[in-house]
Amino acid sequence: MLELLGAALVNVAQAKYLVPLVAGTLVGIVGGALPGVTITMTIIVVLPFTFGLDPLQGLAAMTGVYVGGSAGGLVTAVLLGIPGTPSAIATTFDGHPMAKKGEPGRAIWLGVWASFFGGLIGGAFLIGATGPLARLALEFGPWEFFSLFVFALSMVAGLVEGTLLKGLLSGALGLVVTILGSDPVMGRERLTLGIDLLAGGIPFLPVLIGVFAFAQIMTEVERSGGGAKLALAVDGAVRLTASQLKIIWEILSRPVLLLWSSFIGVLIGVLPAIGGSAASVMAYDQAKKFSRRPEKFGSGIPEGIVASESSNNANVGGSLVTIMAFGIPGDAVTAVMLGALTIHGIQSGPLFILQNPQLAYGIFAAYLLAHPIMVLLLALGARWALRIVTVPKAALFPAVLVLCVVGAYALANAISGVWILLAFGVLGYAMVKLAFPLAPFILGVILGDQIEINLIRAIMTDSNPWLFLTRPISGGLLAASVLSFVAALWQHRRMQNKAAAAAGDADF
Amino acid sequence: MLSKDGWGGLVVLATSLLLFGLTLGLADNPLVPIGPGFYPRIVLGLTAGLGFWLFAADFVSRKKSEKPEHKLNYAAVLTQFGVFGLYVAALPGLGFRIATALYVAAASALLAPPRGVKGWLGLAVLALGTAAATWLVFERYLLVLLPRGRWTDF
Repeated sequence: MLELLGAALVNVAQAKYLVPLVAGTLVGIVGGALPGVTITMTIIVVLPFTFGLDPLQGLAAMTGVYVGGSAGGLVTAVLLGIPGTPSAIATTFDGHPMAKKGEPGRAIWLGVWASFFGGLIGGAFLIGATGPLARLALEFGPWEFFSLFVFALSMVAGLVEGTLLKGLLSGALGLVVTILGSDPVMGRERLTLGIDLLAGGIPFLPVLIGVFAFAQIMTEVERSGGGAKLALAVDGAVRLTASQLKIIWEILSRPVLLLWSSFIGVLIGVLPAIGGSAASVMAYDQAKKFSRRPEKFGSGIPEGIVASESSNNANVGGSLVTIMAFGIPGDAVTAVMLGALTIHGIQSGPLFILQNPQLAYGIFAAYLLAHPIMVLLLALGARWALRIVTVPKAALFPAVLVLCVVGAYALANAISGVWILLAFGVLGYAMVKLAFPLAPFILGVILGDQIEINLIRAIMTDSNPWLFLTRPISGGLLAASVLSFVAALWQHRRMQNKAAAAAGDADF
Repeated sequence: MLSKDGWGGLVVLATSLLLFGLTLGLADNPLVPIGPGFYPRIVLGLTAGLGFWLFAADFVSRKKSEKPEHKLNYAAVLTQFGVFGLYVAALPGLGFRIATALYVAAASALLAPPRGVKGWLGLAVLALGTAAATWLVFERYLLVLLPRGRWTDF
């Protein structure tokens, strides 16, 4: 394993791979720093650029975006008090007060180095766990895969914000998308509704791009009309210098906080479709609970920044594990990466690491190298990131949508992909307006075909339906699905009761 | 009166039932004992049930539609979707470069109308620059083919 990793590190350090990695990390930092532009949107924008690259070049660029984006959000979170990405929300709680107290450099560098160490801990988990988990998945038959995908879907539906019912319905609607057009087992046409465009089924990338890009852009448009740009609240003369050794020591002298926050990040990353925002808020909450001075949280203390930033970068490693071991995207960003693999004819899942060891270890190497690159780029350009947030959205949004069009068109060199992009853009925006979570929908679209294929394969191998329950792993996964459903139901009820009690208190 | 949830549930229920009906017409394959309609019926049954649940929960709770705290600019959203629709429709005819320049100019101008000569000049640079840069990067350097216009051959 170490030999392969060493060779991959040397390989990725070549200009051929290093250039896309650096470019991706830079774009990620910029996208992360821009409030209103998430890492998902940034990676969607980068996707079409990877079509003309070889798979490792493309995936190195995307890994760079993921790592850079997770760290880039902290710049605006600290200096402007506006998180560049949702995963930097918890960083604002202590980062911005610290900057306001006259220590912007310390706040930024605490975040950067915490991201670095958290990311490396996530990387250690990624490298150590992917192989064993993939070997475990190789033991799976169609019953286990079916149950695993159902488990992933039920978990996402239950864990997303909002009501459980809408989470479930959103996941089920994602499955509906996959039944239109073509039967994945025999390849026969079905439910085309007389529309030629549906004859071969609906490709998932234009769906994903449309749903996420339009949902985000149109939500911004309805608020501001797009003409608004952020006022630069920090003057250009702000000093971001700090003693790096002192900052590193400040982080490493809190090993429990660093490890526990990174562990939370990894764990949340492994769970499908819950992103870095949940990880950073949860790690922040845990750091506060276990702190000897919880009352200081929110006033600009280093623990808050370390917890938030280490967890959101460790989260990236966790998210990459599930896609590489099981072929299940950990979040929307890895869903796009899954699409990039598919475009290059590479099947993700348990066989991925065995059949493509160079590519798999190349991703590990890119992930590890992206962290020092991220530190270097932020050292050189944190001040510039502040300038970028003044880009008017009226210029940014049309340009982003043009890149979405290129991505959707270039998949099959057909305009049908662009129509699908528009149709699902409308659907994505409608879902946001109806408060339907998007993550279960996308996971449903991605897993739908695999759920059907494995269900049919299992029944054709042995028509006894009880096998889904009596085979230990399959039964365990289905039991876990029911448990996660019940837990989510309990959690939602508890939150509703709390809200009702709070409303009752307010009345009196 | 139903809220957004109730109407959403009704739409999902109606669509699911319609598609469920269509699956009944799917012919089985003699080679495969399970027909192409088997799995869709499970999925559509699930969405119909969940759609009904959403509708019923809303009907029973009789909650009113919440008004947003800030006034939202739906006209801008509708216009942006419309302009994007026109862009997609025009792509095969006009080709990527012309359609993209027109789209970026129109979308950007509608989002933030340019003021004065400088504003219009900036808009022209943005529109032409986006179209030219995208075309150059993708067609020339990444060898990704972009639509060529049927009417313009450009």
